[in-house]
Amino acid sequence: MNSIMSWIKKARLLIAPSLPQCLFCGKRGRPSSGLPGICVSCHTGIPWIRCPRCQTCGRHVGCPDCSRSREPVPIRCNRSAVAYTSEMRELLGQYKYRGNERLAPILGLMLDKAYTILQQEQSEQQIATLQSNSSRRPFSAAKPNYSLIHPALWQADLLVPVPVSSARLAERGFNQAEQLADVLSLRRGIPQLPLLIRTRHTGKQSFKSRSERLADMKQVFAGNTEQKLLQRLGGHLESIAARLQNRPLQIIIIDDIYTTGSTMRACAEALHRLIGDLGYAAEIYSLTWARS
Amino acid sequence: MRVAVYAVECYGSWEIRVSLNLTVDRLWWKGEGMGGEGWGGGQADRLVLLSQSLPLGWGVKLREGFRASPAMTLWKKEDWKRYVANCLKAEIRQEQEEGGLREEEWLTARIISGESMLDRTGGGAKEVAISGNYGGQPVFPKESLLGWGGSAALAAAANQLAAVLAGRSLLQGEAEALVAERLPDLAGNWSAAVQLAHLQGRIRIEAAVAYNNREHGGGVLGWVSKVKQSVKETERIGSREQGGGVLGWGRKMKQSGKETGQIGSREQGGGVLGWVSQAKQSVHVLGRVSEAVAGRGVRPRLTVGRFPVVTGRLLHAAALRLPQLHLPRRGAAARRGASRCLRCGSVPTGRTACAACGLAGCAYCEACLALGRSRACALLLRSAPLPAVRCTAGVSPTVAARRWGLSAAQAAAAAAALGFLAEPRERSAPRGPERFLLWAVTGAGKTEITFPLLEAALAAGGRALIATPRRDVVLELAPRLAKAFPADTPAVLYGGSEDRWNASSITLATTHQLLRFNQAFDLVIIDELDAFPYHNDPMLAYAAEQICKPSGSFIFLSATPPAELQRLARSGKLPHARVPVRFHGHPLPVPVHLHMPPLHRCLKQGRLPGSLIRTLQKSLARKAQIFLFVSRIAHIAGLLQLLNRIFPGVPMEGTSSKDPDRAEKVLEFRNCAISLLVTTTILERGVTVPRSDVFILDADSSLFDEAALVQMAGRAGRSKDDPDGHVVFASAEWSKSQRRAISQIRSMNAIAHRQGYL
Repeated sequence: MNSIMSWIKKARLLIAPSLPQCLFCGKRGRPSSGLPGICVSCHTGIPWIRCPRCQTCGRHVGCPDCSRSREPVPIRCNRSAVAYTSEMRELLGQYKYRGNERLAPILGLMLDKAYTILQQEQSEQQIATLQSNSSRRPFSAAKPNYSLIHPALWQADLLVPVPVSSARLAERGFNQAEQLADVLSLRRGIPQLPLLIRTRHTGKQSFKSRSERLADMKQVFAGNTEQKLLQRLGGHLESIAARLQNRPLQIIIIDDIYTTGSTMRACAEALHRLIGDLGYAAEIYSLTWARS
Repeated sequence: MRVAVYAVECYGSWEIRVSLNLTVDRLWWKGEGMGGEGWGGGQADRLVLLSQSLPLGWGVKLREGFRASPAMTLWKKEDWKRYVANCLKAEIRQEQEEGGLREEEWLTARIISGESMLDRTGGGAKEVAISGNYGGQPVFPKESLLGWGGSAALAAAANQLAAVLAGRSLLQGEAEALVAERLPDLAGNWSAAVQLAHLQGRIRIEAAVAYNNREHGGGVLGWVSKVKQSVKETERIGSREQGGGVLGWGRKMKQSGKETGQIGSREQGGGVLGWVSQAKQSVHVLGRVSEAVAGRGVRPRLTVGRFPVVTGRLLHAAALRLPQLHLPRRGAAARRGASRCLRCGSVPTGRTACAACGLAGCAYCEACLALGRSRACALLLRSAPLPAVRCTAGVSPTVAARRWGLSAAQAAAAAAALGFLAEPRERSAPRGPERFLLWAVTGAGKTEITFPLLEAALAAGGRALIATPRRDVVLELAPRLAKAFPADTPAVLYGGSEDRWNASSITLATTHQLLRFNQAFDLVIIDELDAFPYHNDPMLAYAAEQICKPSGSFIFLSATPPAELQRLARSGKLPHARVPVRFHGHPLPVPVHLHMPPLHRCLKQGRLPGSLIRTLQKSLARKAQIFLFVSRIAHIAGLLQLLNRIFPGVPMEGTSSKDPDRAEKVLEFRNCAISLLVTTTILERGVTVPRSDVFILDADSSLFDEAALVQMAGRAGRSKDDPDGHVVFASAEWSKSQRRAISQIRSMNAIAHRQGYL
């Protein structure tokens, strides 16, 4: 009796489709429809930030940092895909420190969701400003405002990954921000250019306090002045010159995690300088995979 | 990382070497004016720089796949270039497919050069000055040994480095951490010292993912079947043929000259296999002639000695004369011909662009990611094999037994194991380390039995390792070992432990830490052989095989050895000793079967069978601690609810692998604060509770095999005060594994009775 049952069990195993291994938890489980390669239970456990509480830094909880300092911020706003819970920390560690690069496409897809949110928010703002502008003007029936009926979705012009130092790059073998930006760039058709370089090697940020980080980050980043790259940038700027007639260049800085925002601010300042030198105005946003 | 690669001609034979620091190599091969200690004496006749900066994996491929040709002395720059391009054809093609540089670019980008650096043929040494402006970087900085106090200081540093790396197998990051902790003076400037130690033949420089063509051993753990082993061997020899070229053939040649008659008879055993054993045999013959030949990474002619130089020449000459033999590779063997992670033995499955070596497709191993990424361009430093010792202390077994307070059964097993350790190896060791199975019932006091063995190994000046699958066991064992061997503080290794880089003559480690060692130990004791990590994990089996010196010994400890080992032991192929009785001299409790419907049905109906309740009641009445094993975590909560209703007022808890408070609950159970613990197989081993009874529900579940049942039954009656606990198998069916578990327990009791231990 027992052996028959075990035979039947084995026969069923032969016929049944084998479940794919989940990239997050490593177990075999039902694949989720939202993210490829992830099982349903892992997918439901992702702490998405769907509606950020802080409109500036995209934090999912109240944010004292943004209300504390009144100094002008070089970034329009930050949006992050997930809250940096212990599970997400573990996941990022798997990818970044242990080097499981198979996670890169999925983390990139998760970042893409944050981009969708940013896009929607910005589009809504655009419509709101358009509407307020048009309501001020006298209504003309002959020329309906085309952009009001079919407003173009907000779209970034350029993605810039946060650089890592060359020592870290040699140790790790890859730049996580660049890999994330690659995924987004491919999905959205926005070019990605490494416009920033890191001028000196700072220790791991995760061991430092907030004030240490802020002091540490000054002058760490600089614009990349490589000739070839600037040519490519120039070419791209020309190709979108029509768009830049009535609005500044919209750039998104990409990174894996936003903690105090010091990295982002330093990057944005360097980028503002670089773009300003080229004679353009830039509006800088930031997109990270996680927000702590 | 990227390394420099060069070809060197010394005493008429060529070889290719990789370098982390060309300055050191240049001084080494120049050989003049140094003469100091640790600087060899080798004067190279020619030195050809093949590449100043090549991905490490490629450099190692060039080194391992090198075949000398007599024409090389005449080769010009272009010939060397063509040779390199030809050797790396497959790699370059793959790189091109991945979107990296094309072949022309590799050749023109001044990556592959073929420039001559040193030529001594015309009498005086013509050193070609490539220094200054080679690819923008100075190859040979004018101030030699920058940052070192000269050659003697560097030699001293190399000595220290070789000493701390002894027996290790470390990736660059780990090696850096080790250097930072043990030799802080070297930190940040260790590559020159590594290179010198490498030239001295004391450290091997490997790519972490590479063609694994000179590993020893195979199937030490025993469950790799014979056929598989031979396939492995064939493949290995085959790849050695491709890789090692010169040496491999030299062996064959040597052998055939010596023992022609014997080979004839062996070859009847079956074509290829016969050849394998013959080649293997030759390794031994030569191994005795010069240890260096057996794949040390040192070519014999490079050592300072006199004799090996001759051997090297002989081998070289033989290689030139003999035709190449290509063994056909098919199926699994062909797959194994693929590159491997040298650390864990898996085939690398990942391939990504890598900033460290600049390749668009740099392979990495996904199986051992948790210990730091092992990839094709990652530097893996291994020490050359350490000299082995025989563990023959002059301690007589009876004296040892008395000193360690062993029972009669324990003493008999220890004596057998000591005899095994002391017996000379040449007679019985065709390959790799010898194995010994210590089959001791649950609660026999296995740890105490190992003490005399450790003592013997230490007395002989050897290094011993105890590997155990679980961290808790390591932590529990460490103070006991420290007390038993006060002179040698054991190095305790587990994930995140403090003494990660401490070296000691006794090492106590969890299984995964074994991946950081290579041929380091004379005595390897593997605890709970059949437990989770080794069982069905080829990676850890591979790791275990790697750590023991080829002439060392394995001692396997198990209460329930895998079927394969049991079979080998029965047929007399595996030396073993049984300890059929517990240390207190009482027989093992024999499980009783109790009929009950499947647990999930009981839970659905909300009631347990009366017979089970009555037996539980009896156990509670005798104030026993009750282990209640179930097959599924999902059943724990429901069963607890039900039991709470049936036995109100009895403190009970449930725990499983998913329970964060597991350790506290087990502690409370041990302290009798909880009297009934519902759990799964996670508590089947290692937990000792003084006065305990064991109930196994759904004992016919496929999750409970014979070994698990014996282990769970072994939780009962472990203490001297309550030697006969009760064990109940409750199930709907009387399954084979239950029958076999009971018969195993009975037979152990019978043996104990026969031998008069009870």
